[in-house]
Amino acid sequence: MKPAEIDARLSALSEAGETLRRRPAHETLSVLAQVMDGWSDARSPWRRDLAEQLPPATGFSRETVEAGLERALDGWTGAALLGRVEREIGSPERLDTPGEQMIAGFETTAVLLAGSIPMPSLLEIIAPLVLRSPVLAKAAARDPVTPRLVADSIAHFDAGLGACVDVVDFPGDDAACMQAFLSAECISATGSDETIASVRARVAPPRRLLVAGHRRSVAALGPEAVAGDARVRACEAVAVDVALWDQQGCLSPVALYVVSPDGDAAAVVAATLAEALDATESSWPRGSIDPAAAAAVSRERAEAEMRAAAGRSVRVFASEGTAWTVILEDDTSPRPAPLHRFVRVVPVAEEAALRSALAPHRRHLAAVAIDGFGAESAALARALADLGVSRICPVGSLQSPPLDWPHEGRDLIHPLARGALLERPRG
Amino acid sequence: MSDARERLDAEILAWIAEDEWPAGDAARDDARFDALARRLFAWQFEHCAPYGRFCRGRGVAPERLRSWREIPPVPTGAFKEIDLRCFPEDATVQTFLTSGTAAGARGALHLDTLALYHASVVPSFRRHVLPELSPGERARLWILAPSPEEAPDSSLSHMFGVLLGELATPDSGFGVIDGELAVDATLERLVSCEDDGAPLALCGTSFAFVHLLDALVARERSIELPPGSRVMETGGFKGRSREIPAHLLYAEIEQRLGVPESHILNQYGMTELGSQFHDSVLRFPGEPRRKLGPPWARAMVIDPETGAEAKRGEVGPIAIFDLVNTGSVLAVQTADLGRAVEDGFEVLGREPGAEERGCAIAADELLGSEAP
Repeated sequence: MKPAEIDARLSALSEAGETLRRRPAHETLSVLAQVMDGWSDARSPWRRDLAEQLPPATGFSRETVEAGLERALDGWTGAALLGRVEREIGSPERLDTPGEQMIAGFETTAVLLAGSIPMPSLLEIIAPLVLRSPVLAKAAARDPVTPRLVADSIAHFDAGLGACVDVVDFPGDDAACMQAFLSAECISATGSDETIASVRARVAPPRRLLVAGHRRSVAALGPEAVAGDARVRACEAVAVDVALWDQQGCLSPVALYVVSPDGDAAAVVAATLAEALDATESSWPRGSIDPAAAAAVSRERAEAEMRAAAGRSVRVFASEGTAWTVILEDDTSPRPAPLHRFVRVVPVAEEAALRSALAPHRRHLAAVAIDGFGAESAALARALADLGVSRICPVGSLQSPPLDWPHEGRDLIHPLARGALLERPRG
Repeated sequence: MSDARERLDAEILAWIAEDEWPAGDAARDDARFDALARRLFAWQFEHCAPYGRFCRGRGVAPERLRSWREIPPVPTGAFKEIDLRCFPEDATVQTFLTSGTAAGARGALHLDTLALYHASVVPSFRRHVLPELSPGERARLWILAPSPEEAPDSSLSHMFGVLLGELATPDSGFGVIDGELAVDATLERLVSCEDDGAPLALCGTSFAFVHLLDALVARERSIELPPGSRVMETGGFKGRSREIPAHLLYAEIEQRLGVPESHILNQYGMTELGSQFHDSVLRFPGEPRRKLGPPWARAMVIDPETGAEAKRGEVGPIAIFDLVNTGSVLAVQTADLGRAVEDGFEVLGREPGAEERGCAIAADELLGSEAP
């Protein structure tokens, strides 16, 4: 792909946007609601195609993709979308009619996608369209499938709206193509810190730039969830959170904090979680991974084995091969997260220690799944929100975020809009 | 030092002192390596308690070992947290530290003797970097790294110090002073080489070369080092300069310093190891570039799923088995990915733990500190 082709695609989108903006905003919204209903229906052709095409493109197992989509898209209906639009911008008439608080979409929005999880791609493409801003999406290297299927689904319901979505594919290090891509009026970018820094350096005001950096999530079990049946249930739920999408999403927990004054509680939880992950492997097999990822898993296991051999209270629970790993740690030292179903179980004596352990990560924490904190749950949730955590949920539901979740701690649609204030003549 | 250890050290030193470096796998003395490696493993199994427990945990013990290939390698990260030495702490004569990381911890290699370390450095360097040097002959070296006096904890500086003492002419020296590239002094030395026509071996860290090249660009200068000159870069960038792929670095070196790619090589070594591996280009000109080591060290590419040796050509983490590491552990698993080729291996880069896969980042520092 050449920069000139990207320029041409942006021009075509701009023209399609002009046509679209002649139609009432509620009409566009209605089509997008139909699109969302289509995606929430497991029998829709796009869902079926995604379940077919995503595993070979990403390495995920078919079982994991199907289970992940089912849990993630269950509540992502047209009604849920309309509810979010209403909450964020109020009436869509603000896009059409003169009024005190008017809004408008940008001429074009470039959406830089990242990762291999389909749901963020779906939302990030749809959000600018709510504002009738045409979208040029750059597919993530690891998921060339989702954005094209989303574009197809939109075109299926409305050809005019479908003309307002295009997908390009070029290497991320192609500076000339990236410059052309980032010439859109509004840019929504997801990626690593390096990617975001690179985009920031190329996008100057007045163009709008919205970024989403990398995030991580964790789980925490309180005193009421570390013994008996409650422990087993909680660990099974955490195993679901870890296994879905093979821990590749920002909602995948990379650590499980065990909050208990009982010094042995974390060890028992780690063993129970290992059993749960082992059982999960038979229903949702971990996908294929490249040698680099497997090497990272094996290295972290070996380092933990060495710490155990040096007399530390560290234990390694692991599958044959690299399918899953649970490391029982004995401190909160910084350690890599190799992902691919690799969890560290970290003991902390009390809730205050949990907050202290999480505080250094405040900039990168997306969600915290909790269980077993009883009456302290509300206070803990408040403290986590103050840390910057944008989602606090029960264990086992991390991979089922409601459509209303303020990813990045902010609105989804409103930041993509331009506002205009109409002042009446005074007197 | 015990008699058993002294005998081992003496036998390894004797091997290093031999000037026989057969080329190719078939000719290498694998039986000799295997015998020494297994004896050394048994010694370390017994005298380095954490390592012994680590091996037992994996079901490996000296009496059950069938080959050096079964010796469990210790990941380099363990050197940051665990004291891996086979001798009393008060017998330590030198500790080398790895470069700092985002997490702040530095790996440590403790030594109770420098004899093996010194003995192995010179022949390995001479074979791969100065293969045409006659016995007793010296070469002109300019080192883009701090001196051992300036960086006493650095194994790299120590190595260069040994090389200068053993192999270098009096007009050799260090081009990094007070932690900074001494641009004027280095350019002065390069120009004098250009003028007198005698070749130079310019060696140093990868990032120091980048700084030198940037300085040449800033001054709109190019040097044409005399024919026979060579460049050896090592150590990577460590975030201390812009990072560029090796082939581009070599192209810039050729353009700005006049040293052709055929005379530019990478040294692959690390603090945790006593021996080094080098690109083959000067030792075997015209052959495909690959990493070669001395007879007393072996590289093995591991299948990360099984922990066993990977099939030839498959990609996996590189483990080094180094008989020079008598006082610590001889088997070290690096954080680099590689592939076995012919009689050597290729390094394909650091385990890209930071490869972006979902909207999470692998190998991100997880607990207790901000990601870098």
